[in-house]
Amino acid sequence: MRKYTVQVARALVYTGLTLAVATLLILGAGASPLQCAGVFIRGIFGSLNGFAEVLVKAAPLMLAGLGISIGFRSGFFNIGAEGQMYMGAIAATVVAMWPVQMPSWIHVTLAMAAAFLAGGLWAFIPGILKAKFGISEIINTLMLNYIAFDLTGILIRGVLQDSTDYLPQSPALGPELAGILAPTRLHAGFLLALLMVLAVWWLMEHTPTGFELQVVGSNKRAARCLGINVMKSIVIASCLGGGLAGIAGAGELLGIQHRLLEGLVGGSGYTAILVALLGRNNPWGVLAASIGFAALQVGANTMQRQMGIPAAIVSILTGFIVILLLCDALILKLIEKRKVEGAA
Amino acid sequence: MELLEMKGIVKAFPGVIANNHVNLSVKAGEIHALLGENGAGKTTLMNILYGLYQADSGSVFWKGEKVHFHSPLDAIAAGIGMVHQHFTLIPTMTVLQNIILGLKEKGYPFIKITEITESIQALAKRYGLAVDVKKRVSELSVGEQQRVEILKALYRGAELLVLDEPTAVLTPQETCEFFEVLRRLKSEGHAVILITHRMAEIMAISDRVTILRDGSDLAVMNTQDTDPASLAKLMIGSELPERPVIEPHKGDAAPLLELKDIVVKKERISRLAISLQVYPGEIVGIAGVDGNGQKELAEVICGILSASQGTIQYDGQDITKATVYQRFRRGIAYISDDRHHDGLVLDMNLRQNLMLRKYKLSPYTKHGCLNRNKMDEFSSSCIGKYQIKPPSPGIKMRLLSGGNQQKAILAREISEEAKLIVACQPTRGLDIGATMQVRSILAEQRNRGAGILLISADLDEILSLSDRIAVLFRGQLMGVLDNGAELKTETIGSMMGGRPLAEGETTYA
Amino acid sequence: MEQIFTLAFLTSFLSAAVSTAIPLAYASMGEIYSEKAGILNIGLEANMLAGAFCSFAVAYTSGSLWMGLLGGIVGGLAVCMLHAFISVRLAQNQTICGIALNIFLLGISSYFLKILVSNNPAFPQVATFPKLAIPGLSAIPLIGEALFNQNILVYILYLLIGISHVLLKHTQWGNSLTAVGEHPRAADTVGIRVYRTQYLAAAINGMLGGMSGAYMVLAQLGVFTENMTAGRGYIALAVVIFGRREPIRAALAALLFGAAECMQFRMQALGIDLPAQFMNMLPYLITMIALLGSIGKQRDPESLGKPYIRDAR
Repeated sequence: MRKYTVQVARALVYTGLTLAVATLLILGAGASPLQCAGVFIRGIFGSLNGFAEVLVKAAPLMLAGLGISIGFRSGFFNIGAEGQMYMGAIAATVVAMWPVQMPSWIHVTLAMAAAFLAGGLWAFIPGILKAKFGISEIINTLMLNYIAFDLTGILIRGVLQDSTDYLPQSPALGPELAGILAPTRLHAGFLLALLMVLAVWWLMEHTPTGFELQVVGSNKRAARCLGINVMKSIVIASCLGGGLAGIAGAGELLGIQHRLLEGLVGGSGYTAILVALLGRNNPWGVLAASIGFAALQVGANTMQRQMGIPAAIVSILTGFIVILLLCDALILKLIEKRKVEGAA
Repeated sequence: MELLEMKGIVKAFPGVIANNHVNLSVKAGEIHALLGENGAGKTTLMNILYGLYQADSGSVFWKGEKVHFHSPLDAIAAGIGMVHQHFTLIPTMTVLQNIILGLKEKGYPFIKITEITESIQALAKRYGLAVDVKKRVSELSVGEQQRVEILKALYRGAELLVLDEPTAVLTPQETCEFFEVLRRLKSEGHAVILITHRMAEIMAISDRVTILRDGSDLAVMNTQDTDPASLAKLMIGSELPERPVIEPHKGDAAPLLELKDIVVKKERISRLAISLQVYPGEIVGIAGVDGNGQKELAEVICGILSASQGTIQYDGQDITKATVYQRFRRGIAYISDDRHHDGLVLDMNLRQNLMLRKYKLSPYTKHGCLNRNKMDEFSSSCIGKYQIKPPSPGIKMRLLSGGNQQKAILAREISEEAKLIVACQPTRGLDIGATMQVRSILAEQRNRGAGILLISADLDEILSLSDRIAVLFRGQLMGVLDNGAELKTETIGSMMGGRPLAEGETTYA
Repeated sequence: MEQIFTLAFLTSFLSAAVSTAIPLAYASMGEIYSEKAGILNIGLEANMLAGAFCSFAVAYTSGSLWMGLLGGIVGGLAVCMLHAFISVRLAQNQTICGIALNIFLLGISSYFLKILVSNNPAFPQVATFPKLAIPGLSAIPLIGEALFNQNILVYILYLLIGISHVLLKHTQWGNSLTAVGEHPRAADTVGIRVYRTQYLAAAINGMLGGMSGAYMVLAQLGVFTENMTAGRGYIALAVVIFGRREPIRAALAALLFGAAECMQFRMQALGIDLPAQFMNMLPYLITMIALLGSIGKQRDPESLGKPYIRDAR
């Protein structure tokens, strides 16, 4: 019971601190915190559009975040979600541009499948290099981000360019993810994301593979001694992570932008890392964290439009929360110290 | 005058008295051997001397004055150097860099390479420790690395050198060269404490020997006044412990496990070269001081290490290339000596740890899906059968006591299908109650018909459980004996100290 | 295509390459110290952004470029020490900490910029450090212009490269630093203060990262713009690997990356038909290949990324 109270207390303190920082930032921008709170809440809940925007922004974060969380739990530090999202988008573009006649939903499904494979393949490279040669995946996944981005740049100015004008982007793509809440932008990608939350939860908690991944992430040496194929696990974790990020990229492509362009991902691959962390690498946590983060983003955008508060406030608060969580260890240490001193 | 005197040293840890009023005295210019089995208290005593531990009571006199070392730096400053079994050298740095590491040499902050090289080489010449200071440590052989460690200590002005099992990693040729170095040290007036269990070496090089057993110092004697047999007797005691009546094993025709000319190499050095058989329904005890190839033996049988030569036959099949998983499925169970790193996932709960071997099998997995109910059933039965406390499957493994953790491992590994059990130091770190439980479980399994390879540094354990006893020394078998009434402790002790069984001494081939 | 070999082209190209390379060189040099001590700091963007913004703010309000530089150094230092505290003292995951700091600083610097801008009618700008030609050397054909007709911060960099090279390779402090990153327990046994050394390395990393950011403002643009580091902090990590954690090599690697970036804009003019992004991609590909080449050879400090926890015996 006491442990529970401590946890709740900590959550309250962290929330309080975050709100305090937010208040300071709002005051610093010369606005009234209460007014901003109102604008913020109205931005999210006040209109159908606002609410839908939250879910639209949450979808890619959820998908990529799920992939990253699988990696983290297996001991594979996937920082390459950004690049994997681009690779997924490239593959989806190629399939979407395929001039074969078929029902839209089949075309979209094929494109998404291609995206999964492309993203998975892009993550396979650092995965196999780690599994077989022990090369750190941190730098490798980072490098591949840049390479994927540049590859996109090359393709949209070349082979995949829209021939009707000179902008660096692909032609408007025919197949698209169906809208599910007209007249908002919300598309089927969000439903897919929810489905994936369930799928990942099922995988990690209810299948032998998921169990193996967790063992490898927790104690690689014991896993080896007990007969688990560690190499296989690392590769699976990396490919699944990349595949989910690939789908995230394709979702943005086929659901929102409908064209392949350079700003398609725009840093959400990195944000997804924080989402995975805030979600404690747990699929339901990732669901909550991605919606939370997206809500923060939408609310902040509204605050920027209406009250002039810089939208950068989102990055500040997210970064701040993660740093707080990292410092959690210190809080725990202090609590331990108090306990020991109390007992003495 | 004695250079070093340790008087009445007492050091206790929870559950065990590591040093029980131990006395040790060392003269200048003397090579003093410290002999004892694992757990006799040698390492603890030396750690106290070196300032790594603080004694509970007793005093240390250095050059006639009472001293108290709070850290290794104090000991080093006083003139005591220690070379541990695991070297503290930086592989990517050169010999010179390692030797002056942490020191403020003349010309600080710059390194006057020529001057320092000269002083190191002068030192090296004086003691016969030839070494190329420009080479990286990773390029050196183990023998050469050891020389660097000794130089490092001498460079810091060590008058007394403590060497912990120095020949454990040396080839016989390197050992000879090493003895030369010891003689040089002696002639230059240094004192050396040699922690070892190797009789031949004690006889060859030491002046005096102190024997420790079970935390107490038993005797000090001049080496020339004694012989390996007496030393062996002192090391392990002349009385055999109470041994439960072991049902004589019914001789089966075919061995369950047969290792033929198995060689295991680590870093190009042979750590194990052995041929061995284990029959069903018997316990083969592997005795020997830790570090003589025991871990390699266990791991090569279970598939964690591969042999560079030789074959392993098990239950009629060649399993030399089989994976760890395949071997478990065929009935080889493994109780590792390092339960925290090899045997358990501490951050998972009890139920998950119990399932670590079986989660992929039906009925625990059906159609690709884990069956929680069956897993709960299994863990409940394990908890009940082995009396694991606290009896809650959801408890984090980290929170269980050592004894309960070990019981969980046993519960997981041992089942009807286990035909061969490899148990490595199974009762290490356990209290008396848990120890008795584990031993009776092993005896039970043996009676059930399983073959057990019991690897233990605890000779009492080996003697009380085994049908046959083999001794490992430097990765090789010194001999295999029946655990009968005619068994002499001197024989085992000598084997543990490096003397192979002579012709005619074996009572069972 | 022949144009590429004219002196005029090469000289201007080299000048641009050097200019582009300087921030990378500063940041990567700092990271070398950090990694040698065992701390992998992915949060270089944060150091650089802090340095850039602080140098801008201080230079603008004080009117002095040198005060601005000091401000930038302090900014980078503060951020990096936070990273060090979380990595060393709290022994938390260094990569996560770095990424969180990057995102945090991106937000904070943008926020403060907007506040600064909204309080000023005209868009604030600062002067930049002027170019100082070194007599004699700057007259050397081809490289003279590029290397010796630069601003003071570049010359300071040259000095720092030389000092770092000597410090890391030829002094006992350099040895101790290497020991801490390779085998902290061994270093501990000989009396080296592991944690203190790591904090010192982090401090150097922070200061140099701060200078990197300050350079971009005080020597290149004269203003601070949102996200002006644009991922250079991550690129600096590649420079460190490519440069095998040696200051001189890393500086050359930075030059290579700088040259690749500059090449992009010149390729069209040269009539080279390859897409510009190809040049951009090349350094990253080469870094990955460099990593592959280190298979079998232990290149990373053994204890890189692993917090050193003194065992309670």
